[in-house]
Amino acid sequence: MNAQEIVALPSARPVNGRGAGWALLLIGGAFMGVTNVSMTLQGDDTSSQWVALLVWCVCAIMGEWWLWYRLPKHDPLMFPLVLVMTGWGLITIHRLLPTFGERQTLWLVVATLTLCVVIALPKLFQWLRNYRYLLLIFGLFLLLGTILFGTNPSGAEGAPQLWLGIGNLYFQPSELLKIILVAFLASYLAEQYSAFRAGNLFSENRRWNISPRILGPMLLMWGLSVIILIWQRDLGTAILFFVLFVTLVYVASGYTILLWAGVLLVLAAGVVAYRLFDVVQLRIDIWLNPWLEADGRAYQIVQSLMAFAAGGTFGEGIGQGYAAYIPVIHSDFIFAAIAEEWGLIGITGVIALLATLVMRGLYTASLQRGRPFQTLLAVGLSLLIGIQSLMIMGGVLKLIPLTGVTLPFFSYGGSSLVMNFIIVGMLLRLSAENG
Amino acid sequence: MNFSREIRNLLLALLIGFAMVSLSAGYWALVGKDGLLARDDNPRNVEQETRLVRGRLYDRNGTLLVESMLDENGRVQRNYLFPALHSAIGYASLRYGVGGIEAAYDQILRGDDRSSAWQTDLFHIQQQGSDLQLTLDLTVQQALWDGMQGQQGAAIAISVPDGEVLALVSLPTFDPDQLDDQWDVLTADPSNPFFNRALQGQYQPGGEMQTPLMIAALLTNQPLDLPIVDGTAPYPLDDLEITCAVRLPIMSLNLSDGYAFACPRPLVTLSAALGDQQLLEVFDQFSELQTIQLLPTSALSNTATPSSLATLDTPATITYNVLGQGDLTATPLSMAILNTAIINDGNAPTPYLVSAVRPPDSGEWIPIDTIRPPIPITTSSTARQMQDLMRYTVVNGAAQNAGRPNLDIGGHASLAYSGDTTLAWFTGFTTLGGRRGVAIAIVLENSSDVGLAADIGGATLVAAQTVLSLTPP
Repeated sequence: MNAQEIVALPSARPVNGRGAGWALLLIGGAFMGVTNVSMTLQGDDTSSQWVALLVWCVCAIMGEWWLWYRLPKHDPLMFPLVLVMTGWGLITIHRLLPTFGERQTLWLVVATLTLCVVIALPKLFQWLRNYRYLLLIFGLFLLLGTILFGTNPSGAEGAPQLWLGIGNLYFQPSELLKIILVAFLASYLAEQYSAFRAGNLFSENRRWNISPRILGPMLLMWGLSVIILIWQRDLGTAILFFVLFVTLVYVASGYTILLWAGVLLVLAAGVVAYRLFDVVQLRIDIWLNPWLEADGRAYQIVQSLMAFAAGGTFGEGIGQGYAAYIPVIHSDFIFAAIAEEWGLIGITGVIALLATLVMRGLYTASLQRGRPFQTLLAVGLSLLIGIQSLMIMGGVLKLIPLTGVTLPFFSYGGSSLVMNFIIVGMLLRLSAENG
Repeated sequence: MNFSREIRNLLLALLIGFAMVSLSAGYWALVGKDGLLARDDNPRNVEQETRLVRGRLYDRNGTLLVESMLDENGRVQRNYLFPALHSAIGYASLRYGVGGIEAAYDQILRGDDRSSAWQTDLFHIQQQGSDLQLTLDLTVQQALWDGMQGQQGAAIAISVPDGEVLALVSLPTFDPDQLDDQWDVLTADPSNPFFNRALQGQYQPGGEMQTPLMIAALLTNQPLDLPIVDGTAPYPLDDLEITCAVRLPIMSLNLSDGYAFACPRPLVTLSAALGDQQLLEVFDQFSELQTIQLLPTSALSNTATPSSLATLDTPATITYNVLGQGDLTATPLSMAILNTAIINDGNAPTPYLVSAVRPPDSGEWIPIDTIRPPIPITTSSTARQMQDLMRYTVVNGAAQNAGRPNLDIGGHASLAYSGDTTLAWFTGFTTLGGRRGVAIAIVLENSSDVGLAADIGGATLVAAQTVLSLTPP
């Protein structure tokens, strides 16, 4: 390996110094403060929002301090970016559903503490790499547990049973499963990638010569995704898992054709699922033409598009608009709520924040010189955030069929927030340990 | 090996994905915006409407008639304070839209006409409409409403010489405060409560056609005192027998008395004397009166309005229209306008309903200065002669119930026939000296009680007289 091979991503230059991180956090805090002032001036009861800001500030300061203390060489942008996004989501949830906002504030504390623990855990990556099969079995048990004992916090009949609950505390295992899966795949592919790259997909007589080392896990993952789809009716997670896997195999092997094969498999699975599963048929039908059932099954997506239209360029303003008409606005559709309040300018901001975080993650991956496990882990973790963001943002905008996943850092959801903070914690460790 | 090519490709793919999301958001926020926001199922439109403070309505004396109040959720409730004005004002409903005056002046009442709309949008200021001062007078309106209770029909009173509509009643009507609950029942009601009979109702004029005919008689110096044999006898018309407005023995009658009792035969005799050409002119002028509108048609009921233009190509058709039973129909509004000309030296003022507007950020009423050209009907002397004939009718004829002591009241009461039902008409006036006065037209459906119609007219004219006498000219 030589230094020339390390491609510095053009728009992701290294950022040094503590100043940038603290400055970004200050901007985020000021942003939340101005929003709270605006809401207070409108006469709303914003006491819980001010508490949320206070909690956010404590999390930001403690987290940033802990990061600089434990990982002096970490990427200085990632944590502030995440905090800005979480803060923005927090005030939006507060304004839409104050009770959920208070819960999300508590989850922010849990998530920040978890991130601090992830940063401090000794030999984390070594442990992840060495016990990958144990991890995978644990993950599959979690999945099995969800299939057998799954529930839904809303208690609504027919709602996806994707949570495990103890008392009033609910946990969505698929969120943890994503990280386990990335860790497993990174570990597996880090061992196999040299074999992939040494061989060729085609034999000398132009026949397929695909290694069982690729085909086996590929079919396993495809099967796992189908199980999730069939038993849990969780279209979003199923697609996310499979896309993640295919992409990681592509990175490890360098075979572009695998990406196309993956796309074909997704399409084939989609066609079959359309014929077999009502939930998939519904999503596709609504995606193709929501206007026929704008008051019925397509109500959510049509209302979401109206929120974008109402927001226009500059938005309706802080605390304004009627995004609350969109069902599950605080979770899957928070992107639409931000669109109505902040307009195209705000949406561009959200996309820029997420894209920058993904870029920093991939940049971190590119810095892992000669450490394939860390490289693939960083790529996988970055992809988790990137693909999930694109899936939900594209779905909310009718660009692709809607899949019920959260918008990382913005949406309401304890499991999602904690797991995303774990992802960022791992990326921060990788950024600090490169070279 | 550091997977740099693959990572770079991945980054490129993700950035393309983010760019596509941005473009898609841009499409819905900019290009597809208008179509989406205009959709009926956009709840934002309803929310904005519930927060829009419509302007208030006042009567000519400044009495509040309709107001919009904010509830604890910041939503606006429209309150109609006087049942007597329900049919005159119309309705503004979130679910069913607007009607009547509320529809005709919707833009002003909503505040859509104000140039500072962008500021309202930018600062989320609650949109507020301008107040309107109507020409209606609550006292006169209440008198007319009280008199019309239990009846089906319409009535309108217009002040002279300004043309202000003082009262307007159409029955049956609706309660705009209960519209959401009663809409289905009201729209299914065959008597069509949303139809403004005073402005749109095309009634057979019957004996009321005698007034324009008498004006023509006076203009052409026809003798009024020549006796007509069996002048009180019914006049057969197909299977109808057209009678005088009140029951009279068969006897001779001159034209003045024939008009006073709204008997058909003297007028048929008059029509022969006037000749077809003269009659056609009378009918043309009568038809023209029907085209005058107080409110735009779009603000009124969507019920089709029949044409009032007569086809006068045969002698039989002419006789039908002489007796007010032909193609020519009349609205109460047009009959009231005809009577305003009689007390205004032959020129009818153009009637109107709104006199001033007050923007929400101003305490001052701004008069609505519109050119309202008078409508020439007849000559000054003919008008004065006509006044005398109508005074005579109230003193000695079928309209005696309109008479009130110490008041100058003229009028004409008559019957008309529409299908199987009878209509009782009263048209008249009261004067306050000079050309000041009030004209009125009343029609009662399914009634042959012209005395009742005249009595309602008399009571309303008393109220109008009292109100106007307190107002300096």
